[in-house]
Amino acid sequence: MRILIVDDEALARERLKSLLAELAVETELLEAANGLEALQICQQQPVQTLLLDIRMPAMDGIEVARHLGQTPHPPSIIFTTAYDQHALAAFENHAVDYLLKPVKLERLRQALEKASLLNQSQLHGLQDATQSTRRHLSAQQQGQMKLIPVREVRYLQADHKYVTAVSADTELLLEDSLKSLEKEFPDDFLRIHRNALVALRYVESVEKDSDGAGLIRLRGISQPLSVSRRHLAQVKRQLKQKP
Amino acid sequence: MDSKNFPDTQNLFLPDFCDIRVIFIVLVMAELLAFILTISGSTSLMESFSDLALISLFTQWVSLSCLVVLCISRRYLCRLPQTAAAITAYLLILLVASLVSQAAWWSLNPELLPAEVADARYLQFMFRNLTITALVAAITLRYLYVQYQWRQQLQAETRARIQALQSRIRPHFLFNCMNTIASLTRQNPAQAEQAVEDLSDLFRISLGEASRRITLAEELEVCRQYLRIEGLRLNERLQTEWDTDKLPMDALIPALTIQPLLENAIYHGIEPLAEGGRILIRGEFNQGLCRISVENPVTEATIPGHQHGNQLAQDNVQQRLSAYHGNKGQLQIQMDEDNCRYCVTIQFPYVQVEDADFNR
Repeated sequence: MRILIVDDEALARERLKSLLAELAVETELLEAANGLEALQICQQQPVQTLLLDIRMPAMDGIEVARHLGQTPHPPSIIFTTAYDQHALAAFENHAVDYLLKPVKLERLRQALEKASLLNQSQLHGLQDATQSTRRHLSAQQQGQMKLIPVREVRYLQADHKYVTAVSADTELLLEDSLKSLEKEFPDDFLRIHRNALVALRYVESVEKDSDGAGLIRLRGISQPLSVSRRHLAQVKRQLKQKP
Repeated sequence: MDSKNFPDTQNLFLPDFCDIRVIFIVLVMAELLAFILTISGSTSLMESFSDLALISLFTQWVSLSCLVVLCISRRYLCRLPQTAAAITAYLLILLVASLVSQAAWWSLNPELLPAEVADARYLQFMFRNLTITALVAAITLRYLYVQYQWRQQLQAETRARIQALQSRIRPHFLFNCMNTIASLTRQNPAQAEQAVEDLSDLFRISLGEASRRITLAEELEVCRQYLRIEGLRLNERLQTEWDTDKLPMDALIPALTIQPLLENAIYHGIEPLAEGGRILIRGEFNQGLCRISVENPVTEATIPGHQHGNQLAQDNVQQRLSAYHGNKGQLQIQMDEDNCRYCVTIQFPYVQVEDADFNR
């Protein structure tokens, strides 16, 4: 059994390590200081259980759980938190396992015994309750998890079943729907078409082509995207508000 | 003035009748009363002028004498319970009124009238004056009492507001700190001990009387203790830089004014950064004003959500500063987005321990 301890505080990791040693479970222990590191480790080797702190730099615990939930063999996750009202309420509501810091030995033993996988509805419930917004979008490509920072995404385009996230240098096929992405990042993206959202921070200009159809130019993207007639007024209004 | 020597005079509902403003108001009210009495009693305009002069003279005499008597007797009235003080003051006013009436009767009425007529007139005169005085005094005392109650209530509300504004240490910090100590007890008992000591001091101040002010030296020491605890948790991710030598260390400051700003700086500035960052604490002192600023890094990613959590603690500090210092107690926020620095500056006038005691 391989357990990954994820916490940004070295002393908190130390405590979990010494408690696990006391439990004398046959385990291999791994450590990560933030969410991004944790995801990297999980990609390099299969991990059965994560002891996952919620508030961390770079990527919080809830986001880690969401990305891992999309992998073919997600690990079971036990959240650890010192104090987080929203998260605690969400854990209770969605029957998610969690440990309160300082973690007690007996509770840790129980949690490890019944550690289970999180389902999608639990993950979404947690995310809504903690108002955690993902900082990365993820997708599986050839058995590997690929991440793309939300801030680098220029636009999101829906095509049949998938949504493509396009940044200056990469493209990623996402499993999220355009609608859920629009809802998750209302401050970052703007709908310009039934099948497209653009990143507000990269909008360069809105113009009209010779036929009078709206076009939007994004920094770092050579081809302008077309704005549908239905969304044109709304797009202009939104851009005017943004300085 | 008077209240400085007799601090318990605050508890009396009667105002300080030696105060020039109170005297002025009483004299104006007495004159108004004279007008009312004149208008209600006279039939012709000419008659009323001469009446007004006489009645004014009389009411002013009564009110001035009452002022003198109440001014002198105030220090004794203060020692009585509220009701007894009210009754005594009422009787004093009636006594003064009857004495002045007596004097007025003697000086204005030459002994021309037959004795029976004079007696009847005398009784009528006294009866009328004392009744009017009794009614007016009752209304006035009642008014003063209601006003006093209203003032008391206002003070209680202000005190309650300051109490409610008391800076509370975030539970997030407390439980993380407990976790750190739990971990340290195994590895490094000496550090654990130090952390427990620092935490105790921090809580002693946090749980103390909210309206209390401490010296800047004490507040900065608490800040150092707080940062020491956070340092255990965050290790080298937390760096601090102090530049507070120019500040007068005996200046008074509401307890836990700077510490919440540091807590914010760590929660919103340092913790979200994987590589950590530096917090700058700077102090300036000029023209009797202390300015202390706390500066922390911000990441672009944390900027949008940044304001919410900060707001509470900052509003709280701002309100406590203005509760003590009016518009001289200020809190300013500067955001330097280009350099990703966030800076909160508080400003308050330099008040020393002795000055504060004197003013209380």
